[in-house]
Amino acid sequence: MTPILEIKKLYKSFGGLLALNNISFNINKDEIIGLVGPNGAGKTTLFNCVAGIEKPTEGQIVFANGGRTISIGGRKPEAITALGIARTFQNIRLFDNLTVVDNVKIGRHCRTRSLFFGAVFRNKSQQAEEKAITESANHFLDFAGLKGRGEEIASSMPYGDQRRLEIARALATEPCLLMLDEPAAGMNPQESRDLMDLIHRIRDKGITVLLIEHDMKVVMGVCERVVVINHGEWLAEGEPRDVQNNPKVIEAYLGTGAAGAA
Amino acid sequence: MIAVGYTMIYGVILLINFAHGEIYMLGAFFAVTFISLLGLPFYVAFFLSMACCSICGVLLDIVAYRPLRQSPRLAALITAIGMSIFLQNLAMVIWGSRPKPFPNEALPAYFDKMAVSFGGVNLSWFHLFIFGVTIVMMVGLNLIIKKTRWGKAMRAVAQNQTMAALTGINVNRVISYTFALAGALGGAAGIMVAAFYNSLYPTMGYVAGVKAFAAAVLGGIGSVPGAMLGGVVLGLAEAFGAGYLSSLYRDGISYAVMIIVIIFIPAGLFGKVLKETKKSM
Amino acid sequence: MDNLKLQNLTRGAKIRIGLLILALILPFFPFVTDYMLHIAILILLYMILALGLNIVPGFNGLLDLGYVGFYGIGAYTSGLLTYHFGLSYWVIIPLAFINGAIWGILLGAPTLRLTGDYFAIVTFGFSELVVLFLSNEIWLTRGPLGLPGIDVVSIDLSLFGGPKWEFVGELPYYYLAIVMVLVTVFVMYRIQDSRLGRAWFAIRDDEVAAVSCGVNLLGYKVIAFAISAAFGAVGGSFFARWVTFLSPDMFKFWESFLILCMIVLGGMGNIWGVMVGAMVLVSMSEVLREVLPLLGLPVEVRFLAFGLIMVLMMRYRPAGLMPIPAVAAKMRAGRVKRKKVKATVGMKQ
Repeated sequence: MTPILEIKKLYKSFGGLLALNNISFNINKDEIIGLVGPNGAGKTTLFNCVAGIEKPTEGQIVFANGGRTISIGGRKPEAITALGIARTFQNIRLFDNLTVVDNVKIGRHCRTRSLFFGAVFRNKSQQAEEKAITESANHFLDFAGLKGRGEEIASSMPYGDQRRLEIARALATEPCLLMLDEPAAGMNPQESRDLMDLIHRIRDKGITVLLIEHDMKVVMGVCERVVVINHGEWLAEGEPRDVQNNPKVIEAYLGTGAAGAA
Repeated sequence: MIAVGYTMIYGVILLINFAHGEIYMLGAFFAVTFISLLGLPFYVAFFLSMACCSICGVLLDIVAYRPLRQSPRLAALITAIGMSIFLQNLAMVIWGSRPKPFPNEALPAYFDKMAVSFGGVNLSWFHLFIFGVTIVMMVGLNLIIKKTRWGKAMRAVAQNQTMAALTGINVNRVISYTFALAGALGGAAGIMVAAFYNSLYPTMGYVAGVKAFAAAVLGGIGSVPGAMLGGVVLGLAEAFGAGYLSSLYRDGISYAVMIIVIIFIPAGLFGKVLKETKKSM
Repeated sequence: MDNLKLQNLTRGAKIRIGLLILALILPFFPFVTDYMLHIAILILLYMILALGLNIVPGFNGLLDLGYVGFYGIGAYTSGLLTYHFGLSYWVIIPLAFINGAIWGILLGAPTLRLTGDYFAIVTFGFSELVVLFLSNEIWLTRGPLGLPGIDVVSIDLSLFGGPKWEFVGELPYYYLAIVMVLVTVFVMYRIQDSRLGRAWFAIRDDEVAAVSCGVNLLGYKVIAFAISAAFGAVGGSFFARWVTFLSPDMFKFWESFLILCMIVLGGMGNIWGVMVGAMVLVSMSEVLREVLPLLGLPVEVRFLAFGLIMVLMMRYRPAGLMPIPAVAAKMRAGRVKRKKVKATVGMKQ
């Protein structure tokens, strides 16, 4: 069990508000790990710190990839994506007015290169690159269950499909670690089951998955390990069943969901 | 010292509103019209013009801006510029495009006389008048914004329109009121400048409007005392710069200051940085 | 451009090819005067300028108010190089392009990290400074006296033992302009359908999401700004060699606004819409210039009409005549929000 991401004593404060307070935990390669906690616990803030949208106030985030370890706290988000960490957003951020396939093609951005001269003069390498982009975009759409929907406009798709599109786009960046922010929100039971299947398939391809989720069925069904945080502090960690029965965790939720789920 | 008076006037023009420069210009024209056509005494014409400018400000809001209240910035900006062009040319059509002298006879006679003299600088009553009016207006504006109910409403609307509406403030009326106030101030500024430099022309509002914006940015958009300070600083910079560097670039100094300030201190001296709540357009 | 067979072309493409053929044979119709050609060339020039500007607000979603600055820089650089060194226009075109791009980078790099409003104001300040510089640096530009006597364009084959053709009259410029417009449109289309274009559209739609896909915001915005500036400069260079006389007041803010109106009117972000916008506004300007005196109104009133038209357009059709979905959605979003606010607030009245 080698760690792929280590979060060490992470603090994040916004002015007077301490959103993350001495958080430490590891994520191991090929794990599916869940990050849970009541609303406002700091989960998305943690995501944002790892993804580079927020800068940690203190502490370290260390990413281990292909033998090298890199400290990524405070780096720019586009650099972190290029290093191999991708994420989705709580409120779905798609490129609404572009087509489905274009959305995924943009996901390929960090792995491709051509610019102005390539665009205008279309030399051999640019053409090959474009072809590869199209092929891989379609491949990821397929993988996410959106085969053949490439030419639809992103904003016209039903909600569940939009979530899958966002995941497809994130996968297109070829991450080693994929972070999903409440992917099952607003999904009906069938869609949730499809989502769990998708997450398993993602892990089977060698991508580690970290997900924030409130839907306990999904958490129980997919996560091998769960980290619980509350008020920005680490609360508990372990296998889902154990965490579920942890009295501190139950108290944190005050009986909503945790005890009654599954 | 002359410049200080001139530029304190700038501090008075606050809104990000291209067409506002035109109201400033209109103020001057109204005054001239009232004086020369109707033979009204100076002070009467002054206040009457201010009132008319207020009304124009409100009309501008109702006709051009209110329908676009929630539209993206670009549409509002184009409308503002469009109205500015419209008004400029309307003035040209009505009053002709050549510069006009200000009817000096109408100014109270003592304006030319020296009032105070110190350290090699002579101040006439006219200078004092400008100083005085500007100070009164700025203090008055500050009082209105801090102390009255309307002022509080304006600040609330500036911070968060939806919340303000939900607390029972009639947002539209408050905004109209702000335009009325700004219109009056702008008009007054226009009259004073025209009288002081003894000439007025339809495009005078354009440059003034931009510089006023530069002053507002310098002081920090959203802060009234900041804008006032910005106006002073900018005016001084312009006057001294024109004196010591090159008078040809007098206007350019304002622009350069504005650009430098925006790049390095976006919040200005006192203000709050405008955060983009939605996308950039 | 794969399937060029006649049956496979869409209706839109057929219309455009038809228009192109019409444009090519236009000068041979008997009623076409030199004046009309002049207007046509003006339209083509503005098409190039509008397409250049379109990159920044249309593809990227940023507002550039200082475009005329690049136009002016391009024109004066071209004019001065020709005046002092007699350079051939064919050398000047790429020079203008590079020069424009350099200025775009110089201005863009420090300013493109600003939010939309501030960026707009700074670009405006830039173009005003350019005008001031052009007016005041008389040793360089002859300031308000203007810069006359710029050579016309010529095709000089004398190096190869061939003849030298100088451009005489409007006709050669007309065809040159058509070629330049076609090249510009070609470049725009190529960019639109490429990784670069997609990155720009991503930035326009959602900056945060774009960043999460690895798009370096500042870098790509600077590229967009530089290319836009480059086209502005090329347009300026054409202008200089066509009218053979330059003066600083040809490059005032009004031009920036005018070109902005063309792209807004036509449909920002839409290549053809922008061209239609250029055509409509330039034609309207000339028509008004003729018609107004007949109505007894002074010629300046046409600016009045312009202002009014822009205000009305924003009121009723803010996305333009041929809007693209992205821009239409943005403009519509405003209306929906307004209705929602009214609904929640309505009860308290």
